[in-house]
Amino acid sequence: MTTLKVENLHVSVAGKEILKGVNLVVNTGEIHAIMGPNGTGKSTLSQTIMGHPAYEVTEGHITIDDQDLADMSVDQRARAGLFLAMQYPSEIQGVTNAEFMRAAINARRPEDDQIGVMSFIEKLDEKREFLSMSEEMAERYLNEGFSGGEKKRNEILQMMMIEPKIAILDEIDSGLDIDALKVVSRGVNDMRSSDFGALMITHYQRLLDYIVPDFVHVMMGGKIVKTGGAELAKKLETEGYAGLRDELGLSVQLTDEDVNSYFVED
Amino acid sequence: MADTHAIQSLPLPTFAKVRYNAWQLDDMIPATETATTPFFMKNKENGIEVSGLSTTYQHLTEALTAQGVILMSMVQAKIDYPALLEKMVGTVITKTTDRLSAQNFAQFNTGIFVYIPENVQFDDVLHLTLNHLAASGKDLVARIFVYIGANAKVDILQEIHTISDQKTKASVVVEVIADVGAQVTYANIDAFNEQTTAYINREAEVRDHATLDWQNAEFNDGNAIIRLASQLNGEGATSHANVIGLTTKKQTQGFVTTILNRGRHTLGHIFQRGVILNRSTLVFNGIGKIIKGAQGSDAQQESRVLMLSRRARGDANPLLLIDENDVTAGHAASVGRVDEDQMYYLMSRGISEQVARKLVIRGFMGEVLAKMPTKEAQQQVVTEIDRKLKHEDESN
Repeated sequence: MTTLKVENLHVSVAGKEILKGVNLVVNTGEIHAIMGPNGTGKSTLSQTIMGHPAYEVTEGHITIDDQDLADMSVDQRARAGLFLAMQYPSEIQGVTNAEFMRAAINARRPEDDQIGVMSFIEKLDEKREFLSMSEEMAERYLNEGFSGGEKKRNEILQMMMIEPKIAILDEIDSGLDIDALKVVSRGVNDMRSSDFGALMITHYQRLLDYIVPDFVHVMMGGKIVKTGGAELAKKLETEGYAGLRDELGLSVQLTDEDVNSYFVED
Repeated sequence: MADTHAIQSLPLPTFAKVRYNAWQLDDMIPATETATTPFFMKNKENGIEVSGLSTTYQHLTEALTAQGVILMSMVQAKIDYPALLEKMVGTVITKTTDRLSAQNFAQFNTGIFVYIPENVQFDDVLHLTLNHLAASGKDLVARIFVYIGANAKVDILQEIHTISDQKTKASVVVEVIADVGAQVTYANIDAFNEQTTAYINREAEVRDHATLDWQNAEFNDGNAIIRLASQLNGEGATSHANVIGLTTKKQTQGFVTTILNRGRHTLGHIFQRGVILNRSTLVFNGIGKIIKGAQGSDAQQESRVLMLSRRARGDANPLLLIDENDVTAGHAASVGRVDEDQMYYLMSRGISEQVARKLVIRGFMGEVLAKMPTKEAQQQVVTEIDRKLKHEDESN
């Protein structure tokens, strides 16, 4: 079992404190969802775990199986089993998707045991078809000219190819139509096992209809303010974040005036 | 001999911010070596490989030959088509332009001649390879001339290599005429070795409604000055001049890329990407010039340089010279470092910093790489980039 542990995490971006003491434990075999209004630090949490250089940990720790992430570079964190499906993946021309994924897989293997071309292609074809992605995508340049939906699918494809221990999915549902959402969810559900854990960040309850979480955490004002099961998301859908805030007696300022606008699309 | 004197009195070509006087490019002894077997080309592809004074590969489909396409070495063309050569060679880059071009005109003893009659369409790429046989220590003085007739269409891939490790120089002048309505891509991968100091000058004349796009990849290991020019003489003529260059160790590569808008409604876009490593120097000069009367023309340029070492030197100098009011023009230039977002993305997949850097550098040049006319040529550019970056791995 692999465990990702976040303890009393405080994070600043450009001198401004965004996370103000987050505590969270994600084990393999568990699916967690983090919900919360805009500007509350959900993406900051995911980028900090992965090690984005713009995010500064001012207090607290993040560990994976008791190794402190503070001592690890971004690529070391990835090789230790972490994966971040990004909201805005980079585009890199001149580097094909296939080459990129092969490099990522081989980075995890010893020099004298690199994945063979045939077994790589077989695996890629299988996962690609599972996600209803076209054959030509393998030879296209990395995310270059991909639509928003194609990029999200490509993030999930990478996850399935790399097989991380713990994946963080940062708003993997944003900008997806219902069919694409189903495909992406199918990918995540296919990964579900005792060897895989996920932390999903989302605004919308809708995603959780397709990927049912074991735990739902609500973040407000840079902290996790409530944790529950899948039913907590349903409750939020009807009451909104403001309702929960008032119920908990918090004095958190919500970024948007009309909090219920988050649910209009559903 | 009087001719020699006249040539020496011509000025050296201008490459702003590049000091190359000491390279002695105006003092060459043309090599006369020959070879019998091809070095690079095979498999019945349409093309020619000229090695020294000899032709080591030549192939053209029967259909293209029947349509009147001429593809041969300059040596052969001087014998078979002296009148045609007399009429054409030296018309795009004239013998009085500058000292180095004039010397090339007076001295060239090898090269390639291509004549494509009107309406001929190439389905596959036309591959031209020039090998500098340098074992004697003498220099390469070569001229390539390509005429593309009205409404003809072709993608050309041209390569240059040095064979042997002797210290030599090279002068290569390439003239291209894209006649009315012709559609041409001229892609080249220049890879002279560390021992060759080179002067390369390419220029195209683009006539009415013709398009000539350059994909110019400079992976030379020695010092080089490289000029690339399009004259948009005809109405609606178009040219994209895309350039990538990578410099390593102590070499200098200096570029002048220039487009002249002379005809009305002409479009000239310059796009340059350079990567500079170690103690090397890379200078981009982009010149867009719009002549009075070239109404409705568009001149744009973007030159970006990636500096990967503190001891490297890089420069991107844009210049727009505009004598007409009814035009659009713009330029952008920058000297920067590796894209941190791309690095983060690649490393977040477990890829090491060293490998990620390589991929990001390739991505920086990706726009030109992607436009190389064949998969093989794209792969070749990837290989050249990896080869040039290898030195960095070793020195780190």
